Parts: sequence; structure tokens; C-alpha cells
Amino acid sequence: MSRRPRAYRLDDPDVVTVRSGDPPAEAPGAVVVTEEPLETIEAADGAVVPLGERRGLSWGGLLGGALGSLLLLGLGLALERFIADLLRTAPVLGWLALGLAGVALLALLAIVLREAFGVLRERQIERLREAAAEALAIRDHEAAKRVVAALAALYGDRRRFADSRARLAGWSDEIIDADDRLALAEREFLAPLDAEAKRAIATAARQVSLVTAVSPRAIIDVAFVVVAAVRLLRRIARIYGGRPGLLGFLRLARAALSHLTVTGGVAIGDSLVQQAVGVGLAARISAKLGEGVINGLMTARFGLAALAVCRPLPFVREEAPRLADVAGELLAGGDKEPPH
Amino acid sequence: MPLITDFVSRAGSAAQSLWEAGGQLLTPAVRIGVTGLARSGKTVFTTALVHHLMEGHTLPALRASAQGRLRRAGLAHQPDDAVARFPYEEHIAALIEQRRWPQSTTRISELRLELDYERGSRWRPGPASLALDIVDYPGEWLLDLALLDVSYREWSRRTIEASRRPDRAAIAGSWRAGLAELDPAAPADETIAERASNAFKAYLAALRAGPEAVATTPPGRFLMPGDLAGSPALTFAPLELKPDEPIKARSLAALMERRFESYKTHVVKPFFRNHFQRIDRQIVLVDVLAAIDAGPAALAELEDALDQVLLAFRTGRNSLWSSLFSPRADRVLFAATKADHIHHTSHDRLEALLRLLVARASRRTEAAGARVGAVALASVRATRETSVREGWETLPAVAGTPEAGERVGDEVFDGETEAAVFPGELPERPEDVLEGAIPPGSLRFPRFRPPRVDRGAFGRRARMPHIRLDRALEFLIGDYLL
Repeated sequence: MSRRPRAYRLDDPDVVTVRSGDPPAEAPGAVVVTEEPLETIEAADGAVVPLGERRGLSWGGLLGGALGSLLLLGLGLALERFIADLLRTAPVLGWLALGLAGVALLALLAIVLREAFGVLRERQIERLREAAAEALAIRDHEAAKRVVAALAALYGDRRRFADSRARLAGWSDEIIDADDRLALAEREFLAPLDAEAKRAIATAARQVSLVTAVSPRAIIDVAFVVVAAVRLLRRIARIYGGRPGLLGFLRLARAALSHLTVTGGVAIGDSLVQQAVGVGLAARISAKLGEGVINGLMTARFGLAALAVCRPLPFVREEAPRLADVAGELLAGGDKEPPH
Repeated sequence: MPLITDFVSRAGSAAQSLWEAGGQLLTPAVRIGVTGLARSGKTVFTTALVHHLMEGHTLPALRASAQGRLRRAGLAHQPDDAVARFPYEEHIAALIEQRRWPQSTTRISELRLELDYERGSRWRPGPASLALDIVDYPGEWLLDLALLDVSYREWSRRTIEASRRPDRAAIAGSWRAGLAELDPAAPADETIAERASNAFKAYLAALRAGPEAVATTPPGRFLMPGDLAGSPALTFAPLELKPDEPIKARSLAALMERRFESYKTHVVKPFFRNHFQRIDRQIVLVDVLAAIDAGPAALAELEDALDQVLLAFRTGRNSLWSSLFSPRADRVLFAATKADHIHHTSHDRLEALLRLLVARASRRTEAAGARVGAVALASVRATRETSVREGWETLPAVAGTPEAGERVGDEVFDGETEAAVFPGELPERPEDVLEGAIPPGSLRFPRFRPPRVDRGAFGRRARMPHIRLDRALEFLIGDYLL
């Protein structure tokens, strides 16, 4: 049944105008016009929080790099002298040293390659997220297609996504709107990963709060919180297809921390009151317990920031996880929303 | 002969581009081509864009603005002194104080906006400036671009054929009756030519006044002559030529042909060369809703017109060579204007319709390597979103002040009372509209007056609301402001 166009004069006595959020007008038989706030459209479009600007090569980095290279050069020279001396005095040991040096070089090369690969992979994920945000903003249909293809390639080696890839490939030539296409890819690839990441965050938060609550020394808490955060970040990066080495890890950690400072780790829909009440209640029972809850919440927040940083797409149709989803049991009990 | 003139004009425009490329090094400038048929909202778009940039409003989706790197924007001296200045102040005053839309544009005008911003890159931080050149012109002239590649014979044939459509019979009747009496081979006579031309003009004007006039029939200067009214280049008309009979010298047909050609060389080509050939970014405004209101025939006409116009533009990825000698528009944004006439939950469907309408043109542009986007926007948002509960039903509606004389159902508005309007539901499948599967009367998009804008505190002008203007800007110039 199609609904015919019609107009309601706002000065008509039978028409009642209310603002959204007001209690519903008690006017039986009348027409009720609810005004929605002006920002509704922006909210519906979903502004994507951009991560900090991409850092190019900085002078500090250049200095570090140059000094490191000099050091490496000196080391190499010393090593060469050492081996040459050895070869002269004790040829057998010399050859052994040469072999060891070769193995060391190989290992160094492998490590460097792995680091570079990890960083490249991360950049790829970052670029993917940016491209997706851009394609979404202006419904760029070709760009959306490219993003989905890149996403499929990113998860190309995971067997569990074989079906999803096939399904998406089937849709690749069909004319689908940019946002629908991205939403499809999100549902196929990222929804299961999101669930996994959320579980990882929840586990980490629980562990941290437990360990803090029972640990005898503050220093142990601190160490454990840091270790848990590091492990959580790596875990989430792996879930979403990143393979961070040391450099990549530092990049990610910086991004996650800056994201945390921007958003405060509090997503829309999370109430601070809830958190404060939870902490207060726990602290009443025992100071240690209160600290445990705080540390757990902190870990959960950091995990959410890490999730936002590691995820190759912005949240298109899936709902962004909230603190209550990952640290539900740490928040005040009764008014917790059911998980989605 | 045409080959030589073509070569000369190309060399001329190449030299011009080269000259400008030199100037680019000193003050980088972006030319934004605001393209759109008559009544598609070019003037309002330009005014709103200047308004937001000049008043320094935060445009969240424009990255430079959201990061606070946009320092100041001001009107600067325009590059062409021979062209009228875009009367920005007049337009914004009309919008804000009198709450009326700007008059339809009758002549070409130009504007240069200088943006001072902070560079966002780490390598070259510091202040920089960018000049935005925007040209406003009557949309009626745009379809003339399709004439550039057409001969007089071909144009006559097409125009006459189009007038044979059954729905135009009443309008075209008197002109065609006169046309049948004209003998192309008769000796040239000024009075006959003038009479024929006047009859043709009357036909064009009647077409334009018709209910489905989304796209006007060229030549556009017949409707909006600018300062050329009465000149020979504007005194011609199509004739019924026999397909393979050559045009005799000194005949009426020869006279008409010469004038058609001089219309092209003296009117269309300079317009195209001066204002469209060197566009860096293009936004194509399309009033999809008005076309839906007018029916499937109007939609088909709109699609055809857009396609023809966009064929004339050079789009595609720039190479070093092409950026020096014949720059191409490397980003093209199609925008469905007046998105404020429907509730935002229908914007997706509006965008889908727009994409369907420009599918041919956008595929071609994409193939040439340019980036293509589509967006539903409102340069000035004239309505607020509401939901209307009547009995058991809840309708997504928009509330604003409909223009005087607009009617929805039985209501006729006086231009003062506010009303919540439910315009009907756009179809889920955009093809339905083109196929005529929408029952007439199930959609109605009345025009609204500009919104009431309160003056903010301390005499500051409050901002005109808009929908997704910032996204359009980010797509168009975001990468220049890095």
C-alpha cells in the first residue's frame, strides 16, 4: 500500500507539535508532529573519527636512523677485523666465526623483513579504513568495490572465509550501492572477527581486574596491566589480520593511545555514571577490589581503542562495541544493557 | 578549414593553460565547475559554499576545517576582469533577510575565493593559500555545448523530430505550421528569417513554460539572450531540409546555416573555452525531485540532456603533459540537490535514483580515470525533520514554509504558514520511476522558502543549515588542502 503525500499545517489547532525527547503529547485524535533535532542527518551519516595524521619521516627519526646506521657500520667493520684476525691466527675458529656471522646476518635480514612486512600490512589496513571512509562519505561506487576487493585479498589466506569470499565475488559485478557493498563485506568478514576481538578484550579485562584484586604488590599490578595491554593489542591486531613486529607494534600502540585520548574510550551510549557506581560499590567492599575494577575497565577501554585502530573498516552497519559489551560484569549490575 | 580553426583554437587554449600553469606556481588555484541545468540550484550552491567558508563555520566533513587548519577565507580579485562579479552579498541577503531564493541567473558571473590554511603535512608545514574560482551562469546555456559537434542540417533534423512527439503537438503546432510554409531553397530574406526565428523562439519559450521542462531545448541564448538579443547570430531557426539535397548558395537555408555556425563560433565556443575547458573539479547538480514530480518523460529527457552536456567536458586522470596543456577534471561529483525536501531516511533512495540517471555519464567518466562520487545534498536546508503520528500511522515528514501557491493534496499554501509535509515514498527500485510504475500523484515535492535564520549573539550572522555540503567540499577540494 503506498501512502499518499499529504501536508499538515502547523498552525492547525488539531496539530500538536512536540520536540523529540519530550513526553508524548496527550492529545487523543489529534495529529502529533515530532520535531527531530537538526543534527539527526549528521548522526545518521556517521562521522568517522579520523586517526591522528599520518606521520612522515621526522628529523628525529632521520637522526636515529643515521646514528644507527653508523653504529652498524662500525660494528660491521670491527667484526670484519675480528674475523680477519681470527682467520690469520686460527683458521678453524675464523671459519666458524664467519659462518656464525653469516647466520646472524641472515637472521637480521629475516627480522628486518618481518618488521617491514608488519608495518606495511598495518599501513595497508589503515589505508583501507581511510579509503572505506571516503567511499562511504560520497558513495563512491568504484572505490567501494576496490576496498572490498582489498579486504578479500587481506583475508585471502584464511580458510574460514572461503565461503564469504566466494559470496562476495559473486556480488562483485552486481550493481550494489557503495555503502551496501561495504556493509556486506563487513558482515561477511568482520562480524565474526569483531566477536572474537570482543571476547579477547573481555578476557583481558577480567584477568587484569582479578590479578589486581589479589596481587600483594602494586608493582605487580602495574607490570601485569602493561603486559596484558601489550598482549591484548597484539592479539587484536592478529585477529584483524595485522602481523605487528616491534615497530608495527609501537605504531599501533601509539595510534591506540592517541585514539584513547581523543575519544576517552567511551563510546556513545556508555554512561560514566554506570562506571563510577560500579567502582564505588566495589571500593566500598575492598580498596583492592575497587582498584581491580578500575584496572579492568582501563584495559577494556584500551582494548576498544585498539579494536578501532586495528579494524580495516570503519563501523558501517555493525554496531561499534561499547564498554558494556566487553566489561559488562565490571560495571554496575542492574542497569546493564543486554549484549547485542 | 574547420580543421585549421580547430587547430588554432586548440593551440590558443594550450597556450592559455601553459600560462596559467606558470601562474599556478605562485598562487595555486582550483577551478570548480558548477554544472547544472536551469533551476538545479547552481547559484544557491555557490552562495552557500561561499557563505560557510567566509563566515568560518566548521564543516565537520571537510577535513581541513574539522582539524582547524582553515584560517580565513575572503573574496579576492577575480581573474577575468571582463566578466561580471558574482553578486554574493545580494544573494545571501535575499536568502537570509527576505527569505527568498535568488532570481534565476541571466548572465555569466565569476567569483574568486581565497582560502588561507595551515598545511597539514609534516614536511612542509606552515601557512598556504588556495584560490577557488567559481563561475555561475544561466543553466539554459549549458545545453548549447551539445551543439558544438552538430551541423546545421543535423540540428534541424533533431529539433524538428523532437517537436513531433505527441505530447508536444499542442505547443509546437503554430511553429510547425509556419515551418511547413518555408522553402529552404528560396532566396535569403531578412524578414522571413526573423519571422521564422521569432516563431521558433516562441516555441522554445512555450516548451520551457511547460510542466515537464526539466531540460531546455538548445539554443539556450534564445531563452536567455544576455547582451546578444537581436544580433544576427541569434536570428535563425531550423528548416525542413531534404536529407541529401545540398544547400544552395544565397538561399534561406544557406543564410540560416551561416548564422547557426556563427552562433557556435561567437557564442558557444567562447563560453565553453573561457569557462569550461580548464576545470579542475566538477560538480554536477541535478534536481532529481523536480524531474520525478514532472513524470517519466521528463526524467528520460533529463538523463539525455545530462549525458549530452557531460560529453562536452574533458574528464579523466591528468598526466604531466595533459596537466600542462589541456587539464582535465579529475574528480566529478554528481549531486542530487534539494535533499531537504525528503526525510533523511529516503536519501539513500534519492542517491540511487541519481546514480541511475547519470549511469551512462559516470561510467564514461570512470573509464577515463576520473573519480566519480554521488551525494544527495541541500546547499541550503529549508526544512526540519519531523515524524508525524496520525492515528496508528507514523510518517517521516519534513517541516518548513512551503512557497506561496504550492499545493499538496487539497492544501494550498500562502507562503507564510509552516507545514509538515509527507512527500510520499520514493520507490525502493529506482528503475520504477523511469518505467512509470509510480502511480501519478503518489509523490509530491512542494518547494519551500529558505529557512528562518536567527541572528546569533553579538550581531554575528547565524549559519544557514545545509545537508552534506561539507562532504561535497571534501570530495572536491579536500586534497588541495592537505
